[in-house]
Amino acid sequence: MFTMFLTFIKIGLFSFGGGYAILAMIQQEVVARHGWLTAAEFADIVAISQMTPGPIAINAATFVGFQRYGVLGSILCTFGVILPSLILMAIITVSYIKLSSQAWFKDIFKNLRLLSLGLIGAAMIMIGKDAFPDFFSVVIFLLAFLILWRWKVNPIYLLLGTAAVGMVLG
Amino acid sequence: MLWQIFITFLKVGAFTIGGGYAMLPLIRREVCEKHKWMDEMAFMDGLAAAQSSPGPIAINLSIYVGYHLRKGKGMAAAVLGTVLPSLISIIIIASLFSRYADSTLARKAFRALKPAVVALIALPLIEMAKKIGIKLNNFWVPLVALILVGILGISPAHLILLTILVTIWLSDRNSRKV
Repeated sequence: MFTMFLTFIKIGLFSFGGGYAILAMIQQEVVARHGWLTAAEFADIVAISQMTPGPIAINAATFVGFQRYGVLGSILCTFGVILPSLILMAIITVSYIKLSSQAWFKDIFKNLRLLSLGLIGAAMIMIGKDAFPDFFSVVIFLLAFLILWRWKVNPIYLLLGTAAVGMVLG
Repeated sequence: MLWQIFITFLKVGAFTIGGGYAMLPLIRREVCEKHKWMDEMAFMDGLAAAQSSPGPIAINLSIYVGYHLRKGKGMAAAVLGTVLPSLISIIIIASLFSRYADSTLARKAFRALKPAVVALIALPLIEMAKKIGIKLNNFWVPLVALILVGILGISPAHLILLTILVTIWLSDRNSRKV
C-alpha cells in the first residue's frame, strides 16, 4: 500500500496540465508499470471519473485506491496525488503575495496569464474532441452557450438541466 | 469564514461534472462575484499559477484561494471541500453500482453534458481574453499555446518554463538598457 501511496505522489508531482494529463500518467504507472489494474478496468475508471462530480484526477485516484485497498486506499491515493500540490502551490502562493510588487514578477504573471488562456483553450479542445458526435450535441452546445452568456445562469443549474434533458431526449 | 470557504468549495466540487476546467467558471463566480474574496486579476493570476504547478488544476486553485483568505487553515478548508464530494461519490459508486458507467441513464446524461461542458469552458475564455487585454500584438501567445498543447500534445510544462525564462531574460535586458 505504501508503494501505491508513493506512486500517486509521483503522479501528482510530475503531471502538468490538469486532469487529462494526470489520467495518462495514472495509466502509465498503474496499468503499464505496476499492473495493479487491467486496461479494461482502467477504461471503466476513466469513464466513471468523467461522469462523477469533482476533479477527474481526484476521482480516478480515489477509484484506483478503492479497488485495491478499500476506503483507506482511496484516501491514501487521493492524499498522495494532492500532496505535491499542497507543498508547491503553497510556496507559489506565498511567493506571489511577497513578490507581487516586483516588476519582473509582474511581467512573469502578465505572460503566464496569456499562456493560461491558451491552456484553457487546449483543455477545451481535448474535452471537445469527442463531444460532438451528432447534431443533437451541437444544439446543446449552442443553447448552453447562449443561456450562460445571455442570462448568466448559474452553471450548476445549467449542468443539472442538461443532464435532465439528456436523460429524457438523449 | 473557514466554514464558508469549506462549503463554497464543497458546493462547486459536488455539482460540477467534467473535471477541473469545468469547475473554473463556478469557482470564479463564487470567489469574485458572490463572496468578493478577491478581484478578477488576482484570480486570473491564481489560475495561471495553478496551471504552472503540477497536480490537479482545481486543487491548485483551491490552495491559492484558501491560502489568500486564511493562510494554512483556509487552504485546508478549501482543499477538503474540493476533495470530499469526489471521495464520497466515488466510494459509493464503486461499492454499490459497479456498472454505473454502463447504465443507460448515466450515459445519456453524460452525452448531453459533454457539449455543455465545452460551452462552460468557452464562455469564460472570451471574458478572460477581454479582461487580460488581448490585442493584435499578443494574441499569438495563447494561440500558439493552444495549438502546441491542444493539437500537437506538447506538455504545458515546457511552455511554462520557457515563458518564465524568456520573461526574466527580457526584463533583465530591458533593465540594463536603462
